[in-house]
Amino acid sequence: MRSFINPFFAVILAGLLAACSSTPTEEDTSSTDTMPQETQTTPTQPVERPEPAKPETSSIPLTADNFHNHPSNYDGTTDTRVIYFAFDSNTVPAAAFETLRAHAAYLKENPNAKVRLEGHADERGTREYNVALSERRSEAVEKFLRVQGVSASQINTVAYGEEKPAAFGHSEMDWAKNRRVVLNYTAGRP
Amino acid sequence: MMRVNKVRSIAARAAAVMALSMLALAARAELLIQITEGRVDAVPIAVVPFGGADDAPENISDIVRADLHRSGQFKTLQPGDMLSRPTSADQLSYRDFRVLDQEYVVVGSVKATETGAYEVRYGLYDVAREKQLLTESYRPPASQLRDVAHAISDRIYEELTGIQGAFSTKILYVTHNRRADRPYQLQYADADGARVHTIVRSREPIMSPSWSPDGSKIAYVSFEGDGLPKIYVHDLGSAERRVVAQYQGINGAPTWSPNGQKLAITLSKDGNPEIYTLDLNNGALERLTNHYGIDTEPRWMPDGDHLVFTSSRSGGPQIYELNVHDKSTRRVSFEGAYNARPDVTPDGRYLVYVHRRNGSFHVGVQDLQRGTFDIVTQTNMDESPSVAPNGSMIIYGTQHRGTGVLQAVSVDGRVKVELPSKEGEVREPAWSPFL
Repeated sequence: MRSFINPFFAVILAGLLAACSSTPTEEDTSSTDTMPQETQTTPTQPVERPEPAKPETSSIPLTADNFHNHPSNYDGTTDTRVIYFAFDSNTVPAAAFETLRAHAAYLKENPNAKVRLEGHADERGTREYNVALSERRSEAVEKFLRVQGVSASQINTVAYGEEKPAAFGHSEMDWAKNRRVVLNYTAGRP
Repeated sequence: MMRVNKVRSIAARAAAVMALSMLALAARAELLIQITEGRVDAVPIAVVPFGGADDAPENISDIVRADLHRSGQFKTLQPGDMLSRPTSADQLSYRDFRVLDQEYVVVGSVKATETGAYEVRYGLYDVAREKQLLTESYRPPASQLRDVAHAISDRIYEELTGIQGAFSTKILYVTHNRRADRPYQLQYADADGARVHTIVRSREPIMSPSWSPDGSKIAYVSFEGDGLPKIYVHDLGSAERRVVAQYQGINGAPTWSPNGQKLAITLSKDGNPEIYTLDLNNGALERLTNHYGIDTEPRWMPDGDHLVFTSSRSGGPQIYELNVHDKSTRRVSFEGAYNARPDVTPDGRYLVYVHRRNGSFHVGVQDLQRGTFDIVTQTNMDESPSVAPNGSMIIYGTQHRGTGVLQAVSVDGRVKVELPSKEGEVREPAWSPFL
């Protein structure tokens, strides 16, 4: 299998991850703007955790079918803030487990940190039904974090359905990018 | 005389609606409406250009002709094809219209009065019988000429079809222009797409707009502010609004009860999307469903005793009916694996909902009397069907060249109308009640 599509998708993926890690939703910037200052003023321990080794994934072709659970999406660090779901599924993909464990560890170490789990659906189907489907996705991620020992008070969920797509096209690949839960740190961002 | 009074009250209501203060901004963009498929048995009618029309700010005869044409029930004669253009009954030569195979003729005039108002007179004539069917006059100010034009269309439509016209109604809808600073807008326009008004603009999504039965208020879901969903009730006359639901989880799918006293809504505060009623007078919540599946998208049946809604209790989404008194439910849809977001015709006979077939989403119509089901749209990705208050047409959201647009189709599927938007996405249309 030649991985001829890799350079192209690497660009898309880089852009996507950059977009995801930059700002949370526009509306809650007021609340998040104040929090990083707090974390700066309180001198917590410097970053001494070793950088987890990011797996080499370039040999695995990225296709519409495996987009949601391609290993390059989940490198086992809290840098990854978006979890992708398979079509019609609210099961957390196994490839995302390491990443979610890293988020759970971070949340447990930083009790002031708060995360909002924003569930999304692709555009197919009716809007309010999609809101309900996307809520099941954010609840699945919430359950995963809670099982890891994260306090319920650190987690909020919101369901956006198909209303805030990450990709605006109408192909299988666009839909795969939109079936997601975004981990939006509203306080104590890593 | 009765008619004139009625039109005055329509005009007064329209003026109140237009007086939306702070939040209302007149937008330049209007919806363009074009009919793509009419009935083969459409009735030929000639709406002759009204006398004195050049002096009035709105061309009444053009508006009436477009209204009748857009209904799909009529085949309108273009003014250029007319042999004569009478502007009053005494000038009318039936023969000139009979040779053009016209069944009906509308003749009228507009005249400015000393007080700044306009005097509008018209008559509807039966060509074969050489008989006057209707004659009326109105005295609107310039700002209400459009309302008078739609009122004339309503009268003609009712006279010739026996069905109340819905040309004086409004369409409420959501637009999304992702290049705008505040991409999400809640707007309404005349049923012909003219006179667009913006009600809310937001950086965060707006969803599920719904009219109160008297047309004076709307309810919708907005994620504005903190990014969390809240249900608002918004008075169109005063532009005042209030949050009626902001619970943990989903606050969605508001829809007004026929008596205007309650909203049916979807809340997931108890851990799962369930349908509740919210009493707007005292804020009392009553939970109607209790199932681990998804229950959402309620719509009241006209009797006020039942709701139809979408539920995943059998696996995929299907339509169920719920008795609001004893809370019993029964499944209504059985065709295919995906049926959702029902609406109902005013007579309660037809359910209209989104149906998936071969991966495509269409609008389907289920006849509750005869038990038949038909897909009435050929478009793909159809959603949010909303029935006109006279039951004639269904407006719905779909995609055209990758952009969200509105289309309309008659309940029998024989008439199709396109409403392409000039900018951004248009979706979630809600047809107003009679205003």
